[in-house]
Formats: sequence, structure tokens, C-alpha cells
Amino acid sequence: MAADHHILERGFKNISENGKITGFQLLVKSGYYRGIWLCLVDDFVITIDAETFKREQIKFTTPDGAHTYSLDEMAKVTDVRWPWLEPAKLTVSKPGGLKPGVHDVQVVQKDIISYMPVIPSVRTYRKKMTMMA
Amino acid sequence: MTFEMTRKGFLKTVTGAAAGLAASAIVPTSLGAAAPGVSAGVAPAAKSKVKLGASVYSYNGDFLMGTMNLEDCIADIADMGSDGVEILGEAHVPNYPNPPDKWVEQWFGWMEKYHTKPTAYDLFLDARMYRGRVMTVQEAVDSLVRDFKLAHRLGFKVLRAQNSIALAFGAGTDAAALYGMAATAVPEGKQVVEKALPYAEQYDVKMAFELHSPALLRGGWVDPMLEFVNRTKTKYVGFCPDMSIFTMRPPESTVKGLIQQGARENIVNHIITAWQNDLGPDKTIAEVKKMGGNEVELRYASVAGIYHSSHNDPKDIVKLIPYMYHIHAKVHEMTEDLREPGINYQDVVPILARGGYDNYWSTEWEGNRDIFEASIGIRRQHLMIRKLWEAA
Repeated sequence: MAADHHILERGFKNISENGKITGFQLLVKSGYYRGIWLCLVDDFVITIDAETFKREQIKFTTPDGAHTYSLDEMAKVTDVRWPWLEPAKLTVSKPGGLKPGVHDVQVVQKDIISYMPVIPSVRTYRKKMTMMA
Repeated sequence: MTFEMTRKGFLKTVTGAAAGLAASAIVPTSLGAAAPGVSAGVAPAAKSKVKLGASVYSYNGDFLMGTMNLEDCIADIADMGSDGVEILGEAHVPNYPNPPDKWVEQWFGWMEKYHTKPTAYDLFLDARMYRGRVMTVQEAVDSLVRDFKLAHRLGFKVLRAQNSIALAFGAGTDAAALYGMAATAVPEGKQVVEKALPYAEQYDVKMAFELHSPALLRGGWVDPMLEFVNRTKTKYVGFCPDMSIFTMRPPESTVKGLIQQGARENIVNHIITAWQNDLGPDKTIAEVKKMGGNEVELRYASVAGIYHSSHNDPKDIVKLIPYMYHIHAKVHEMTEDLREPGINYQDVVPILARGGYDNYWSTEWEGNRDIFEASIGIRRQHLMIRKLWEAA
């Protein structure tokens, strides 16, 4: 399987709060060719190996780091963009995080694109990524 | 139908072509009124030199991989002997819609350094910005004006405006119903265009509505807008045909992809033949079902599959020439002997050359997106178009 470089190697890390690993993060570039207003990003579904994470478990941080939203909050954000080619950070809740090693990472992104005959538009990015620690 | 750049401090006119080629060989449309910028009864002008450029969208594979940036794309277009640069405001302009002044200066610096000119600026309308409803007319106009201002600031005179607005313009026609796109576009397409028009005039940007697959060059797709232009005599509304409307058959890569997903070659070929013979999605699906078609095959037989392409008669474009401000030269593959096997350049280029089309052919490379493949494909395509044009 060819690596999909919409997911970045860098930034794939477990995250901790108060000394406990609460989840993991990954950096994703949007595959949609013009960038997108946040309100038009309908959903993400993330699958790591055999485990699927849904919208309630995912938070989105803009590439400049300035804003973090839940996916429900993002639906109302009409004045902030996710520019094309700039990686956003997806933070996923998973107590204990991911074990160090190579994981099969899949991100499904669903966007509301008015001119498409089918809404939402669905894009899938998949890559084997290494969790270092 | 000439294209002039007169952004302050920045003057670029194509040598010789600027003034003399205003007269077109094309006489009034089937709707009877004289087309804008064209006088009836003028002798056919000499065929102008072909104008070639590319949308930097073509280089997306290189942008993703970091092998080329915007300046590299402009340099590449110039290096191949072409001079037209098309961008998408939302993709290629930093801090859209408010790029820093320094970046704008740099943009004009590139135009001068590489002897290129801004041809068209692609804008979009996100009619579904506000969840649970479609945009109001005023919201749509405000969105368009935001892009008019930026396009003007960057020296563009032509906008690639969306197919979906043109279709919504003809809402209520059979075309709109068949493709269902009017449902997701602003429903009051006509009001949006009428209200946006004074702003287009103010910012001196022509709305060239894209005619993109599955558009047909007759009926509801074009007639309502032609009627509007002829009635108002506006010079700020027109068309940008995309060559996908002259599809002859799907690209090899599409067929390979379908087979990888589980479609069978004989059924795919059957669907292609049915489409070429205008069987229509319903009858094609019925035939594929009889053949024991699977999900992949049934989808390809539908409006979401092959019927998302159109194959228009090249002669049908002649009546649109006086209203065409830009062309999207869509391309999926270019052979070593300079052919695009899936799209009918061989008939359309001569018709437009002889018909007095005098604006840009702007490549949209949608073929192989591996690094540097766009550079290869666009060169072949530009040489193909130039040869077909000169032989016309």
C-alpha cells in the first residue's frame, strides 16, 4: 500500500495530562484542493489497526495552533479556514494511548462541498506510521 | 474579444493581438441578438496566435510533495513558451482572502520576471456554509464580492465562476432536474448573478461560468444565461467551457481503477458504449443489472459514474464563442505522439481557431499526480493545441 502523505510522520505522538497518557495526536493535511472553512468539515473517522475512533473522541486544532474545537463546535465556525496543505492536528482520546511500534493509520475526512452531486465528499488517507514512545 | 492587462504599474499586452482582433467571424447567436463585442457583417479576422496557459491547480501533486511552489509553477509555464497563469484564490493566496501587501507585490514581480499574465481567478460559492440551510441571495453576493475584490487586486480580469450557479440560473429546466445540482447550489441563481453584476463591473472582473461535465451545450445549461446576456448586453457575464464536455471515453486510469475495485472489463466496456450512444443512466443501469452487474459496475452506469461526463457535438460550441472568456483545457493523459485519447481536442481546437476564439486555453491537468508529471503532461498538451490551432 502506497503511503498517503496527507498524514505526516512528524507529530504522531501519544499525549499526556497530569502524568497519564490520555490519547494520541496526528497531523493531517486536507486532500481537498482549495482549503476549507471549518464549518464545512463534517466529520472525521480515525481507525488505528482494528480500533475505530469517532467524532466524540476527536478534537481538531487549526494549523496555526490558535484554535481547538470539538467536531460539533467546528460546525458553527464560519470565519476560520483550514488552508490547503497546512497540517491540522487531530487529537484522539484513548486512555493509555498507542503502543510504540508500527500502526496502520486510516483517517476518513468528510466535507460538505456544495457543488458535488453527492454530499458529503469522502476522502480516505492511509499510512503505516511509527509511534515512537 | 481581446484580453488586456492594465493593472496599475503593470502593463502587459500580447504583441499585435491587442487591438486588431476585436472582430470575430461569428455572427449572432441562435437567439437572434448581436453578441457583445461583436458586430454583424464584419469580415472574418485572421486567426490569432493561440493563447496558452495553465491553472496551477495542475501542479497539485508537486505542491503536496513540496517539489514545486507557486513561483516554480509560474516559471514552468513560462519555460514551456506559454504565458497564462490561472490560480484558485482560496488555494494559492496566503491568508485568503487578505494576502499581505508584500505578497501581492511579489505576485506582480513574478508576472514581470517570467513575462506571464494573470488569466483567470477561480472562485467558489459554499452555498452550504450555514448548517441546515442554503445561503441567502445576499450572503451569496457577499461571498462573490469578497473574491471580486481579491481577483481585482491581483490583476485578474476574468473569473472562473461555478457551473452550479449557471445551472441554478436555469433552475426549473430539465438539465437542472436531471443532475440535481441546483438543489445544492444557491436556488436563486438568477438573482445572485443580477445582484453581483454591478460589483463585477465595479471591480472589472468578468464572470465566466464554467460549463463542466456533465454540461450540455444546449437547453437549460446555456440558453437562460445566453438570453440574459443578450437582453442586458452585459460584458461581465459569459462562459468558461471545460474540455471535459467533449469527452470521448474515460481515461485509462479510471478504467483501471474500476477494475481494481472489482468491475469486470466487459461490463465497463458495455457501459462506455451505452454512454457513447446516449442510452441514459436509467436504461444503462437496467442493462447492467440484467448482466448481473455488481455495486461498482452499477455505480459507474449512473449519474455518479460515467454519466457525470458529457460528449457534446463540437459544432455546438460555435454559438458560444462570442461569450467565451476562458477555456479550461482539461486533460487526463497525453501520449508521446501528442494526443489526448479521451477528449476531443482534434475537432474542437480547429473549430475555435477558425471561429475567432481569442482568449486563453488554460490547462487543468487531472492526470498522473506524481512529482513532475504535470510538467510533462502540460508541455505535450500545449504543443498539441498549438499544432492543431496552426493547422486549422
